[in-house]
Amino acid sequence: MVPLFYINILSVLLFGIGLYGVLSRRSAILIIMAIELMLNAVNINFVAAAAVHEGSGMFSNFDGHIIAIFIITIAAAEVGLALALVLRIFKNKSSVNVDEFDLMRW
Amino acid sequence: MVYFWLIPVISLIAFPVTIVFSRVTQQRAWIIPVFAIGIGLIIYCWALLEYVIIGSYYDNCLHDVFTGSISCHYAINWFMAGVPGTDFLDTSLGFVIDPLSLAVAGLGIVVALMVQIYSIGYMKSDPRFGWYYSVQALFISSMLILVLADNFLLLYIAWELVGLCSYLLIGFWYELPSAKEAAKKAFTVTRIGDVGLLIGILLIWYNVGSFNMSALFSAIDSGELNGTLISVIGFLLFLGAMGKSAQFPFHIWLPDAMEGPTPVSALIHAATMVAAGVYLVARTYPLFVSSDFMMLFVAVIGLTTAIGAALICLFSIDLKRALAYSTISHLGLMFLSLGCFGYTAAILHLLAHGFSKALLFLTAGNVMHSIEELDIRKMGNLKSIMPATTILFIIGALSLAGIPLLSGFWSKDEILVSVVNNRGIVFVLLTMLLVFISGLYMIRLVLIPFFGTSRTDYTDAHNLPVVMIWPLIVLALIVFTFGWLAIYMPGIYHSFGMFLYYGHPEQFHLDPVIAVIALIVTLASFTIGYLAYSKKLDIFTTIKTVLARPIKLIEKKYYIDEFFQLCVDKIMMPLSRLVSFLDRVFVNDKGINGPAYAVNMIGSLLRYHITGKIYVYLGLMALGFLAMSITWLLVSY
Repeated sequence: MVPLFYINILSVLLFGIGLYGVLSRRSAILIIMAIELMLNAVNINFVAAAAVHEGSGMFSNFDGHIIAIFIITIAAAEVGLALALVLRIFKNKSSVNVDEFDLMRW
Repeated sequence: MVYFWLIPVISLIAFPVTIVFSRVTQQRAWIIPVFAIGIGLIIYCWALLEYVIIGSYYDNCLHDVFTGSISCHYAINWFMAGVPGTDFLDTSLGFVIDPLSLAVAGLGIVVALMVQIYSIGYMKSDPRFGWYYSVQALFISSMLILVLADNFLLLYIAWELVGLCSYLLIGFWYELPSAKEAAKKAFTVTRIGDVGLLIGILLIWYNVGSFNMSALFSAIDSGELNGTLISVIGFLLFLGAMGKSAQFPFHIWLPDAMEGPTPVSALIHAATMVAAGVYLVARTYPLFVSSDFMMLFVAVIGLTTAIGAALICLFSIDLKRALAYSTISHLGLMFLSLGCFGYTAAILHLLAHGFSKALLFLTAGNVMHSIEELDIRKMGNLKSIMPATTILFIIGALSLAGIPLLSGFWSKDEILVSVVNNRGIVFVLLTMLLVFISGLYMIRLVLIPFFGTSRTDYTDAHNLPVVMIWPLIVLALIVFTFGWLAIYMPGIYHSFGMFLYYGHPEQFHLDPVIAVIALIVTLASFTIGYLAYSKKLDIFTTIKTVLARPIKLIEKKYYIDEFFQLCVDKIMMPLSRLVSFLDRVFVNDKGINGPAYAVNMIGSLLRYHITGKIYVYLGLMALGFLAMSITWLLVSY
C-alpha cells in the first residue's frame, strides 16, 4: 500500500498547481478550472486518509469517502453557478478578464 | 372642606374643555370657565363656613404650633425616591386649609369671577375669545393650587404655572410688538427671582430632607438649622417673592405688563398673581421671623419699593401704568408690614388692595373700552359721559388712599400701627410720606381724567354694556364692606385678627392718634392735589421748575430699565458671546468635528489596500495561510 505521505505530497503539488493557476490566470474560465484542481487535491487527501485509517469492522470509517462525494457534488453545482456568472459577465463586458471587474474598489 | 381640592381641579379641567368648546362656538366660550369658577365659589363658601364653625372637630385639623390657628391638611402620596432609611424622599400631594389660604383663595375666586364676567363684555368680538377664557381658567386653577399647596414642590409648580399664564395673557395681542416684548420681559425678569426660589427650595430639601412646609418649620423650631442658613434660605425665597410681586429692583416688568387686556391686568397684575410673593412670605413666616436680618431686609425693600413706585406713579401719564405703579407701591407696603411683624395687617391689606385695585383696573378698562385712550393728558371731564364708572373709580381710589370706612383705611391703619410699634422713627416718617404720596397720586388720577375740562370731544365714545358695570358694583360693595371685617362687632363677630393671626389672636388695634394723623396727612395730600391738579396754582409750576432734575429722574423711572439694559448689553451679551465662541471652537469644531475628521483621514489612508483585483486578495490569503502553517510547524517542532 502506498504510504499516506506520498499521497499527501501529490495532493500538495496538485493544490499548488491549482493555486498558481488561480493567481496567474486572468481568464475567469481558467480560474474556475484551477479551482476544480484545488478541490480535487483535497478530495485525494480525504479518500487516502479514509483508506489508510480503517477502523474495526466494515464501513466503519467512511467519513473521508462521504466528504469526497459531497465535495464532488458541490463542485459540480459550483461550476454550474460560476459558468452562469461568467456568461452574464461576458454579456455585459464582452470579456472574461477578471482585471476588468474591480467595481468593489474604492 | 375635603372637597376644596375640587375648586382648582374644576378650573383645570375647564382649560382644555374650553379650548375644544371654543372651536364650536367662539362667542359662548365664556360659559365653561365662568361656571367652573362659580361652582368654585359655592364650594369655597361652604368650606369657609365649615372651617369657621366646626373646623376644630375634624380629624385632619390641628392647631398649628406657629400661627396658633387651626390648619387642616389633606394629602395623598405623590412619589417616593431614594433608599428607605437613609436618603428617603416621600413627597405627598397635599393641600392645607388655614386662615391664610382661605383668605387669599377667597380673594382669587371672587375677583376671578368678577373679572371673567366683566370680560364677556370687554373681550367681546375678539378673535381669540376662547383662548382668552381657557388661559383664564388655567390661571385661576394654578393660583389656587399655589395658595393651597402644603409643600414647596407643588407650590413651585403652581408658581411657574401662574407665571406662564401671565406670559400668555400679557402677550395675548401678540400682533403688537410692544405686547410681545412686554410678555418676554415679564417672563425673563420674574425668572431671575424664580431661580432664587428654586435654589431656596432645593436648599430646604437638602437640609431638611423634605419638601413639606411643616417639616421646615419644625426643623427651624428645633434649632436644626443655624441662623445663617435660615437667613440664606429666607433671602432666596424672598428673591422669588420680589420677582413675582414686582419689588425693587425687579418691578420693571409690571408696568409693561399693562400691554395685556385690562381684565387680565385687574386679575393677574393687580389682585392675585402679584400678591403671590406676599403670600409666599406670609406662608413661610416662621422662617422669616427667626431671622432678624431678613425681617429688616423685607421691610427695607418694601418701603423702598413703596415710596419709589409711588413717586413714579405721581408723574405717570398712562392711566393703566399709573395704576400698575400704585400696585407696586401697595405690594411694597404689604412687604413693609410683613417686615414689621404686621402679619394680619399685611394679609388684610392684600385683600383690601386686591378688591380695590381690581375695581380700579376694571374702571380703567371701562374708560379704555369707551374712549380708546389711556393717556390721561388727553382725558378730562369723563364724568359727563360715564358717571357710574366715575363713582366706582372714586370709591376704589379713596379706599386705597385710606379714607375711613372704606376697606383700605382699616388695613393701612393696621400697617401703620405695626410700623410704629416695631420699627424706628425713620420708618414711621417714611411711611407717613408714603401715605401722603399715595393720597396725592390717587387724587391726581381722579381729578385729571374724570373732572376738569375735556381736552377732546367724546362724540365717538362707545356705550358700556351692562355686563361691564355690574361686576364693578359688586366689587365696590365689597370694597365698602370688607374693611368692616377688621373690627370687632360684639355678639356677632370677632375681628379679622381673631381669624387670621401669627402667634396669638389679636384684636383690631385702632390707634386713634395714628389714625387721625394718617387721615390728616391724606386730607392734606388731597387738598394739595386739588390745588395742583384742579386749580393749577402757579406755585406748583415753580416747584416743578425748581425740582426739575429729581422729577426728570423719577420720570425716567430712576433709569432702572436702562441699567438692566446696560447689564444685558455690557455683561450678558459679551458673556454669552464668549460662551458661544467657546462652544463653537472647542466643543463643536474640536470636540465633535475633530474625531470625525480623524476617522475620515484614517479611512482615506487605509483604503489603498482595497485594489479590487481578485488575485491580490487570494495571494494575500495564500501567503497568510503559508505563514500560519510555518508558524505552526516551528511551534510544534
